[in-house]
Amino acid sequence: MNEQIRREFQVLGKPTPKKDAPLKAAGRAEFADDINMPGMLHGKLLRSPHPHARIVSIDTSRAAALPGVRAVITGKDFPGVRYGNLPRTRDYLPLAIDTVRYIGEEVAAVAAIDEDTAEEALDLLQVEYELLPAVFEPEEAMKPGAPQLHAPAPGNISAHTESQFGDVAAAFAEADYVREDVFETHAVKQGMLEPHACVGVWDSFGKATLWSCKMSPYTVWRQLAMGLDIKPSDIRVVQTYVGGGFSGGKQEAMPMDFCALMLSKKTGRPVKFVHTMEEVLTIGHMRHPMKIWLRTGTTKDGRILAQHCKLLANGGAYSSIGGFSIFLAGAMLNLPYRVPNMKFESDRVYTNNGFCGALRGHTVVQMCFARDSQLERIAEDLGIDPLEIRRRNALHDGDVTPNGFRINTFAFDECITRVAEMSGWYSKRGKLPKYRGIGFGCGAHLSGARLMGHSASAAEIRMLEDGTVHLTTGSTDVGQGVETVMSMIAAEVLGVEVDDVNYLKVDSAATPLDPGTFGSRVTLFTGNAVKQAAEEVCRQLAEIAGERMGVDQQDLVFRKREIINRKDERQRVSLKEIVRWAMFQQGRVITGRGTYGASEEKIDFQTGQGNLSPAYNPTACAVEVEVDPETGFVDVVGLWGADDSGTPLNPMAVRGQVIGAAVMSIGHALYENLIRVDGKVMNPSFRDYKMPQATDLPKLADFQHANVITWEPEGPFGAKEAGQGAGTGVIAALANAIYDATGVRLTRLPMTPESILFGLKGVQQQKGNRGP
Amino acid sequence: MTYLKRLPKFEYVSPRSLDEVCGLIAGTSDDEVMLLAGGTDAILQMRRRERVPRRVIGLKGVAELEFVRERADGSLAIGAMTALHTLLSAPAVSQRYDLLRETTAQIGGPELRNVATIGGNIAGALPCADLPPALMTLGARIRLSSQRGDRWLPLDEFFPEFGRTVAEDDELVAEISLPRPASNSGGTYLKFHDRHSMDMTVVGVSAFVVLDDDGRTFRDLKLAYANGAPTVFRARRAETVLRGHALTDEGLEAVAETACAESSPRTSWRANGEYRLELIRALTKRAIRLAWGKASSRKGTKP
Ligand SMILES: Cc1cc2nc3c(=O)[nH]c(=O)nc-3n(C[C@H](O)[C@H](O)[C@H](O)COP(=O)(O)OP(=O)(O)OC[C@H]3O[C@@H](n4cnc5c(N)ncnc54)[C@H](O)[C@@H]3O)c2cc1C
Repeated sequence: MNEQIRREFQVLGKPTPKKDAPLKAAGRAEFADDINMPGMLHGKLLRSPHPHARIVSIDTSRAAALPGVRAVITGKDFPGVRYGNLPRTRDYLPLAIDTVRYIGEEVAAVAAIDEDTAEEALDLLQVEYELLPAVFEPEEAMKPGAPQLHAPAPGNISAHTESQFGDVAAAFAEADYVREDVFETHAVKQGMLEPHACVGVWDSFGKATLWSCKMSPYTVWRQLAMGLDIKPSDIRVVQTYVGGGFSGGKQEAMPMDFCALMLSKKTGRPVKFVHTMEEVLTIGHMRHPMKIWLRTGTTKDGRILAQHCKLLANGGAYSSIGGFSIFLAGAMLNLPYRVPNMKFESDRVYTNNGFCGALRGHTVVQMCFARDSQLERIAEDLGIDPLEIRRRNALHDGDVTPNGFRINTFAFDECITRVAEMSGWYSKRGKLPKYRGIGFGCGAHLSGARLMGHSASAAEIRMLEDGTVHLTTGSTDVGQGVETVMSMIAAEVLGVEVDDVNYLKVDSAATPLDPGTFGSRVTLFTGNAVKQAAEEVCRQLAEIAGERMGVDQQDLVFRKREIINRKDERQRVSLKEIVRWAMFQQGRVITGRGTYGASEEKIDFQTGQGNLSPAYNPTACAVEVEVDPETGFVDVVGLWGADDSGTPLNPMAVRGQVIGAAVMSIGHALYENLIRVDGKVMNPSFRDYKMPQATDLPKLADFQHANVITWEPEGPFGAKEAGQGAGTGVIAALANAIYDATGVRLTRLPMTPESILFGLKGVQQQKGNRGP
Repeated sequence: MTYLKRLPKFEYVSPRSLDEVCGLIAGTSDDEVMLLAGGTDAILQMRRRERVPRRVIGLKGVAELEFVRERADGSLAIGAMTALHTLLSAPAVSQRYDLLRETTAQIGGPELRNVATIGGNIAGALPCADLPPALMTLGARIRLSSQRGDRWLPLDEFFPEFGRTVAEDDELVAEISLPRPASNSGGTYLKFHDRHSMDMTVVGVSAFVVLDDDGRTFRDLKLAYANGAPTVFRARRAETVLRGHALTDEGLEAVAETACAESSPRTSWRANGEYRLELIRALTKRAIRLAWGKASSRKGTKP
């Protein structure tokens, strides 16, 4: 039946190149750094060289006197209002006022006629610091007597969550088998290729406008209002093209944004800021390093009875959305498995490092690494096939998890089967040559979370007299293909071509309000809103056309830019004609609006109870590796993944997303590592911060991906998310493959050649000791 | 915090001849003037303020420093300003100096190789530089030029300590000379790094093997290392272990052990010394085997 529905699509379901691809390939897309305005000044930020210090004084006079410098500002030029996400986690300031908490924190800003002059002025700023003791590890930071980072957070606890479902103690008592493991993950960066950039104008009417590469412009809009202490209506945020985001700060207001506006206010000129890649890699927003203690109890045949997880997250100097990060880790602990009893305790701890927030897959990635690594050990201990233990514990359609997730569609079993087939699992596992191994890993994701504050999305469509469509939403295309898929949804409903739909960028003065682009929410939330808006336009046009054609409007269908009587297909009229008639003769404005709230359900963020997302998608993957036993070097020779992304609306984009997510996880597992020594980032360049490059990919010899197609009732045209889930199982699969190849069980990321080689020596020694 | 600042202010001069360059650096110190070849290291050094020269001497315009030429005596002469890309496309290099070609191809990416030069790779005196080990095992000599005249010295003797060369302040590297490799010879450079594509070297091993006429024993073996010690160096004791012997597992083990004993790799945030030592052990054996294989397959073919 699903296949049938797919075949009936006019636009959706067909691989469709991204609409902005030609523009970007030709270098014509205008990014924030491409904006130039008459009289524009260039801004630079002075950053703290110390991990923790009190600012005693700042002397700006020499910098201000440098020819070409137009203004210098410090934290005192702002109202001193803290901003942030959740009300209890507002700990950001536009610029530090009396304390700096990590190396790289913004202390002052300069606007000058060019970048070099601005930077030269930074050298002339004289800041007197009083050094404070600093702390970099969460365990240390929690100890009594540790340096305290934020007064309202005693013990440096930035956020704490606790939840319990079922009777965990009883379940463990009942379990035939219990094991505990500790896993450690490290700091990785988003690695988007476009550094943050913005241009700010504070005009003479007192209105502040920011052009910037924001993923979530409305979040920025509110945060700017907070930190500047002015009315949101006096602020306008205009989105430019976004050169990748992955939640690397582009979902929030950053010091550069505040400073661009404040410096513009002081100088009466537009002010541009562009981070260097070094700044991007040094400052905040990165994946939380975590220590994950996981205890699992099962029956003899490997059925999970209970899981207890304690998590310690190194949050860095500020909150970002860290409170939600650890909540999500607990909420997603069980997926894609049935865990009848679960307990979760976690602390996110402030330390004097760059701060952490979301990064593709958010905290689900770390949890899946821990959980699916451990599951493999359980299977081994109990003598159960790794795929079988996953099947035995798999969630299914219609399940309700103990924490209240209502699972509509969840083709997890089939994902496992498809991966087993594609990878040749049963002909490989245990049969590969020495030092070659294959591992399995699974994960899951959600299609947007129901949040405490702003959760709903909206869309607006306006028909133009040439029969084309203006589509606005509050969701941004950050390279993932939102522009294309939203246009496809509208085109599908309105019976027009994808290129007839003009998807506008977000402008807080003009486009519908939206929480932003994160958490894989756009296709489902905004997609539903777009569908509804388009249906509303159809309804209006059908009414007019029905009258004109003398046909019951119920019988009209929209296809190929025409409105057709389904009962007598000879009766048809062009869409354009009807729009023009409605406009010219009736003076009508043909617009449709749609919304998607998903808000009928409430999440209890205290207990963790509630249906966090409208839809959940499972993923499975197998990775085959070859390990060089003399150097520990890992070659990923194959990766096979299967995902239930519902019904892929744009299969080409889905493919791009799942490959991207998988490759990012490979980078996370094997190469990427933000190395910090006493809070100082040692490798703030793409030479030394090693992401997998395009040239690495052909070497990942065999890459296959399958969509297990389901029809998600909550999604627009059956769709679910595709951009994050596919990466969640990969790290565990790699760890399991390395174990299969070498006998070395790695519980700490990244899995470096060094750790593998010394692991191998350990394994050999053990064998030797057992000896003949 | 700023690791990379804008360039400092300096005077830029672009001489046209080697004589002119020598004149410009005569009587100056390292802090005052800086030679700029491809700039792939030099620019970063200045942006990190590790060096703040008063004057920068661009070598781009000195045409006489850019050449790849076979000399009558069969040796290969390479001008210091030869870009890595040029080396790769020089027929003499691909025909007779496979080790050099192989090494050069592993440095950076195409963009880097288009600008970085052989002279800069040597003169930078970095322990992780890839060309010096390969060049040392090929028996490279370098010509240092100054107003006082030219002098030649073996590349092995060029790096007295970390980050330093024996060149005087008034000298520059002008030319690299490689003897024609013996027939029955072959070499390889194994560059270990964490990622497949473009990456800095964790440990690099160059092995160059010359077989005896009968092809069964080592007439000569040369070994040199990147990141095996504070400078690129030749493992001279290890080189002697197999001389006159056939290739055996025990022999290789012995070479590797000796090479490890001669090495003193450092621990840095990039890698632990202990691990680098393991790499030296493993890659030494592997490199010798590969070089032996190449030498054997070339046996009988005229160089
Ligand atoms: C992204 C990236 C990747 C890299 N990858 C590698 C790699 O894989 N392997 C590797 O070995 N290196 C690598 N490097 C380092 C560097 O690029 C090379 O060492 C390069 O060959 C240096 O040559 P250059 O012409 O750019 O030298 P420059 O930067 O111009 O000069 C380097 C130093 O040598 C001095 N100098 C230059 N020419 C002379 C001369 N003729 N006589 C005396 N002194 C001179 C300069 O004053 C300076 O101190 C990499 C660098 C980057 C940025």
